[in-house]
Amino acid sequence: MAERETLEVDVLIVGGGPAGLSAALRLAQVQKAPHEGKLGEPLSIAVIEKAPDAGRHQLSGALLDPSTLTDLIPDFASKGAPLGTPVDNDNIYFLTEQSKFRLPITPPPFQNHGNHIISLSAFTKWLAAQVEAEGIDLFWGFPGQHVLYEGDRRVVGVRTGDRGIGKDGQPKGAFEPGADIRAKVTIFADGVRGHLTKQLYRDLQIGSRSEPAQFAIGIKELWDIPKERLKPGTVIHTLGYPLREEEFGGSWLYAMGDGRISIGFVVGLEYKDPLFDPHAAFQHFKRHPFISSILEGGTLVRYGAKALPEGGWNTQPKLYVDGALIVGDAANFVNSMRLKGIHLAMRSGMLAAETAFDAIRAGDTSSKQLGFYKAAVDASAIRTELHPVRSVHQAFGAGLVAGSAAAGLAMFSKGALLPDLPGHDGHKQMRMIESYYGLAKRDFLVPSNAAPIDRKLTFDKVTGAHYSGTHHDENQPVHLLVQTDVCHSICGSEYGHPCVKFCPANVYEMVDNGAGGLRLQINASNCVHCKTCDIMDPYGVITWVAPEGGEGPSYDGM
Amino acid sequence: MILVIAEQKDGKLNRASIETIAAAQQLSMPIKIAVAGQNVASVATELAQYGEVITVDHAALAHYTPDAFVQALQQVVSQTSPALVLLPHTYQTRDFSPTLATRLDRALITDVIGVKAPSTGSGQAAAPTFSRPMFQGKLTADVQPQGPAPHFITIQIGAFRADAATKAAAAAAVSSASITIDEAKLRQKAEAPFQEAKQAVDLSQAERIVSVGRGIKSQENIAVAEQLAKAFGAELAASRPICDNGWLPMERQIGSSGQTVAPKLYVALGISGAIQHLVGMKGSRTIVAINKDADAPIFEVADYGIQGDLFELAPAIIAELQK
Repeated sequence: MAERETLEVDVLIVGGGPAGLSAALRLAQVQKAPHEGKLGEPLSIAVIEKAPDAGRHQLSGALLDPSTLTDLIPDFASKGAPLGTPVDNDNIYFLTEQSKFRLPITPPPFQNHGNHIISLSAFTKWLAAQVEAEGIDLFWGFPGQHVLYEGDRRVVGVRTGDRGIGKDGQPKGAFEPGADIRAKVTIFADGVRGHLTKQLYRDLQIGSRSEPAQFAIGIKELWDIPKERLKPGTVIHTLGYPLREEEFGGSWLYAMGDGRISIGFVVGLEYKDPLFDPHAAFQHFKRHPFISSILEGGTLVRYGAKALPEGGWNTQPKLYVDGALIVGDAANFVNSMRLKGIHLAMRSGMLAAETAFDAIRAGDTSSKQLGFYKAAVDASAIRTELHPVRSVHQAFGAGLVAGSAAAGLAMFSKGALLPDLPGHDGHKQMRMIESYYGLAKRDFLVPSNAAPIDRKLTFDKVTGAHYSGTHHDENQPVHLLVQTDVCHSICGSEYGHPCVKFCPANVYEMVDNGAGGLRLQINASNCVHCKTCDIMDPYGVITWVAPEGGEGPSYDGM
Repeated sequence: MILVIAEQKDGKLNRASIETIAAAQQLSMPIKIAVAGQNVASVATELAQYGEVITVDHAALAHYTPDAFVQALQQVVSQTSPALVLLPHTYQTRDFSPTLATRLDRALITDVIGVKAPSTGSGQAAAPTFSRPMFQGKLTADVQPQGPAPHFITIQIGAFRADAATKAAAAAAVSSASITIDEAKLRQKAEAPFQEAKQAVDLSQAERIVSVGRGIKSQENIAVAEQLAKAFGAELAASRPICDNGWLPMERQIGSSGQTVAPKLYVALGISGAIQHLVGMKGSRTIVAINKDADAPIFEVADYGIQGDLFELAPAIIAELQK
């Protein structure tokens, strides 16, 4: 059997998204600058990423605020940055079931003049090329699987996932054990609800002093529609229908040019109705007369879903530990009011790179030295942007009206008038069937907001999974760990199997167990790596781990 | 003369080789059969029933590598100067035949499903015509190779019947080709072959497939599908949930995470037709769907659809087939 390999580097970056790649590029830049008149030994830097290729697991709306890009790569235009379409006009509507009301003014957070409608996948691909041009090794198809520690508290690297393990857990013919990549500094850029950052939460209690993280699920589709229907650069956001007062969320619709549009729907993962289905809400949204008139006659091109951090500043974990830093979505750096996080992810990556570089040059990578990263974040545009709106999402917990009032207050007082508000774990907001619905009998497997599927405008989740391009070898261990019996024993009567509803790719199914009951079937090969199940299951018993390297969705163009 | 390049592995003849011989026989030209490998004497004896055999025996050919096969077969083709070279459209052929044809700068027509001998009497230099599917089988194109001989033709598996190949009254001669292999130019070195999982069945070879889906409800009911498959003389396959449950082995799974098949007949039993399944079988020539849900997407690709209970319909079909 093959031996486990070990690789030693100075800096290991886990995750090849905007945060991780910005960190890698910034490291390359700072080590080229002479220090006291001379250059030091170049650092060895490695980036590992579970996707088989740059950008393949990147999904966002996306509107890019180019502020960080300008700082990181001032000549981005001449380097061919795929900045897509500049925003031409902003529109925000409140939808009722049959009508729409245009908000008379576009609130400042929704003003996107100067921003760009991009494909995050394409942008990441380009960013990766800039990093590779600096001679940095990018290891595609290598997911981190375990954090490596020395003693109890010091992070010394990451073990990548094994390859060639069968469904039964036994090695197949082409078995290759994961490698241990050991680093002086490990930068965790493993994205929203990063499964390695989650290990840090568990092992090093990095969340003990922050508010509970808040998440939402975003479901996105690309469509091709008749070119003349929407002016390229048109940005539409909606609130309201089909969500109720008790659900947080809304939609986006961006005209990317050439008839291609990005359309998506976001729902806060703190909804109360256990039978609510975010994917069904998206289908209802597409059936709204305003939206269906835009999509009609068009074709679905791609589908995908991804959770996003919504909780803001007060939910950031401890950003530094002995030997490691946390950046980007993994650190919850998203401005949920502006619906933007790419520029914050990039900024945090840059700052972490600078801190890591200084720490390695100083020969001290303890948390004390790496704590300069937190100081840098506090002095940066990340804090300037996130701190004033730190409690807005939490205020939406009290309903749309209270939330909007809080948003207004935060906006006009620059955060001074809005106190720190406590947040609550989203999955604990879900109410039990009996408390929500009373004792009336109903079919728990049918979402409370089930939507008609016509396979023209609306599609079922399985078809969505196909359009995500997701692929996983069937003969490998299931990468969604559910080591419990609650699914069969109490979940049905308590919550009516909410996993079946919140998963946007039909991974979770309750099927006949042949004995008059139900059994959980996990269709792991449908998984689009959105992490919603890891976040929203009310018992907290689902753990998302990386499947075999290189597998998962294929988000080209997303 | 037509040179048929047969395929064998570990002394066992690939049955598609005989189908290729059957195709060659329709062209009314003399046939020679080459077979490459190491210790291929017994295979040669088997092939000699159909015509003169040339063995291409070399230690470097024991385990397949494209470089060794191209080197050896290039010499055999040069030595025999055939008008046509016919090969079965196997994985192995697909791997080396483009290189072989390019090395000799000759035309290659792949995946042929029909051959037509040149019609005599026309003024033009007579050349045979070959039919091959296009656009996933939606169209069939008639193609004539251009340029100097030999022309390389690969024959789709299952397009010709092996039992249609005529055997000679007496076994023909077996000779051995004298070839040299420049081992320095072999860029691949084959390790001993291994199998990841025991592959009991190659569904891509099946002419008829009965495929079973979630509508079958329980593992015990798989027998219903098995009987229907037996009645059709078909291989049994399944959609993902069935294999995921372990009711049938994974190598019988059809679809995006399983195998892609294009049999002549595909019977979908209790399969709703998720797009992941459809991509694995929509190239089938005739699709019969049995499902109780009239709105099931499988009916959108089916040539024949029966809305009804498979537990009533399957026995009725079996009874009808046995008449």
